Amino acid sequence: MIKSILIANRGEIAIRIARTAHRMGIHTYGIRTKKEPNAVYLQKVDEIVDFPDTDGTTPEFLDIANLVKLAVDNKIESLHPGYGYLSENADFARACRDAGVIFVGPSPEIIHKMGDKIVAKEIAKRSNVPMVGGALGGVPNADEAVREAEAIGYPVIIKAATGGGGRGMRICRSTDEVRPNYELCTKEALTAFGDPTVFIEKYVENPKHIEFQIVADKYGNVVHLGERECSIQRKHQKLIEEAPSPALDDDLRARMADAAVRLAKEAQYESLGTVEFLLDHERNFYFMEMNTRIQVEHPVTEMITGLNLVELQLLIASGERLPITQDDVHLNGWAIECRINAEDVQAGFTPSIGMIKNLRLPSNNNIRIDSGVRVGTEITPFFDSMIAKLIVHGTDRADAIRIALHSLEHFVVMGVKTTIPFDKAVLHNEIYRKGDFNTSFIETCMDSLVWHEEHEELIAALFAVSNYNHDNDFSGDAGEQAEPNVDPWVLQKRIRHL
Amino acid sequence: MDSNTLNIQNRTLIAVSDTDESSYEFQVKNQYEFSSKGRKLKAELIEEADGILLFSCEGVRYPVEIVSVKQNSYEVVVNGVSYHYTIETPFSLKRRQILAANRPADLNEEVVAPMPGKIISILVKAGQEVQPGTGLLVLEAMKMQNTITATTKGVVEKVSVREGQSVSKDDILVEVKKQ
Repeated sequence: MIKSILIANRGEIAIRIARTAHRMGIHTYGIRTKKEPNAVYLQKVDEIVDFPDTDGTTPEFLDIANLVKLAVDNKIESLHPGYGYLSENADFARACRDAGVIFVGPSPEIIHKMGDKIVAKEIAKRSNVPMVGGALGGVPNADEAVREAEAIGYPVIIKAATGGGGRGMRICRSTDEVRPNYELCTKEALTAFGDPTVFIEKYVENPKHIEFQIVADKYGNVVHLGERECSIQRKHQKLIEEAPSPALDDDLRARMADAAVRLAKEAQYESLGTVEFLLDHERNFYFMEMNTRIQVEHPVTEMITGLNLVELQLLIASGERLPITQDDVHLNGWAIECRINAEDVQAGFTPSIGMIKNLRLPSNNNIRIDSGVRVGTEITPFFDSMIAKLIVHGTDRADAIRIALHSLEHFVVMGVKTTIPFDKAVLHNEIYRKGDFNTSFIETCMDSLVWHEEHEELIAALFAVSNYNHDNDFSGDAGEQAEPNVDPWVLQKRIRHL
Repeated sequence: MDSNTLNIQNRTLIAVSDTDESSYEFQVKNQYEFSSKGRKLKAELIEEADGILLFSCEGVRYPVEIVSVKQNSYEVVVNGVSYHYTIETPFSLKRRQILAANRPADLNEEVVAPMPGKIISILVKAGQEVQPGTGLLVLEAMKMQNTITATTKGVVEKVSVREGQSVSKDDILVEVKKQ
């Protein structure tokens, strides 16, 4: 088994990894950065190492050379990249291997194959997994982008070849939109993923987004852990996920799982991985991409399978055999994850910057909260806006929705605005509750993006009035706002002179 | 107990929503007792041990926050949802209505930064015509590139920022002359 691990990430996922690694007897190291030297995740590791002073142009968790150097200098045996950042960067995995550090994830060759969506499409083709139309290759310039887009037919989607997490994707519905989107996408791909390559494919209108969790060891054993339903998205950012998906029956689930396992075997995949599919209105499914890291939404799979995905990931990285076979995997009940982002939903989901002044987390049976913040944490524009995830487990879907709503009502964050009122609005929505929704849900099915509790508007008005009443002393001469003693005739006269 | 509490006020205060001009009228008896449309409302602000403020009224207790107070304009948050109300007396409400009726239409729209961030690219020039939805510039915050768009039809009067510049929330980015 691995003896020590450097967690090359921050926030809730750093804490999540540290918790399991610690329980498995692995010595954990966290990285302190100048941007958040007092972050919560640093309290959950056995040892803290400081990120060195640099010129500051490369964000810490994207700095391959310095991250590997931290592991080597501190004689740390392995490195966990978490999600986002360098988690799907083959150069990073290679730099780790070259330095003698075990990278917790697939080999650089596999990351390159699957992480590069262009190569992944070729593998999907070889393993007979259905795909949407589009050229198999990167797009070198804007002129070529326009030519390809016109050949495929609108709408098309431009995607970063090495992208993920919903970033670096732009939909184009006409030729006018291709050029600016190509430039934006290329820039965003370079800043976010360090590789400007983008490709174009047919855009499937309003599909469902369904992904299968795969786990594979170094000895060719591949097991799937069922699907996750991730169709509640805004601008390709997932907001609420669940497992299983209300859209699949046993037959479709078996066919999609089989395709996912076939693809993983063809790629000689190892470690955790997620095969993402689009499901169209006729219930045809198409391979979209494979993520070679742990996903933000992995807890819903853990809830219904009872397995610990980080534990499996660490066992595989240690060279052990998978401790489970497909027959050991049973999907039990229903799990829902609500992301709690520091965003002002009423202002178009803009990031809400500020300090968390107060925090109250719900506690209940069958709920789990993965969070990287506490009272006093500054929410800065440097990092992702997600501050917590609420994951609930119910006996069935209705039960899970009920528990999630109850928990959200008791989840209080003060100082920044969050997506909690949005999460409530989704969970109360009739279309969502019926399970009949796709990725257009937020734009097409929601009358209001925030949920208002009973009498909430009246109570807000009264709260404002009571504050005003408290703030303003009416007993003395309070100027023009309060004039209890002024003759009504004088008031009328003043109004006439306005 | 301060004198305000003892003072029987029986004043009328009207909370006018800044978003849709809808309003709620309250009779204020004292700091805890109000009525609206003849219905008595008892309100209480409770500070819990962990510092969370709960506003209790109509049999429910909701977490609340005061985000900002500008003169008689209040931004409050109830259950994580923002509400903007301007508190008026019957007299000030009447004055406000008269002022609103006499005010000439605003001719310029100032597009401000919705969040702090960095200007990645500027998509328009002064003098350029824009429609609602036309991209004006790209602002990067929290690793996301956001295209800031025009909300009215008009002509770009002035671009107040340059590429690469860092901006704070509410900084003026572009001024659009309405048409």
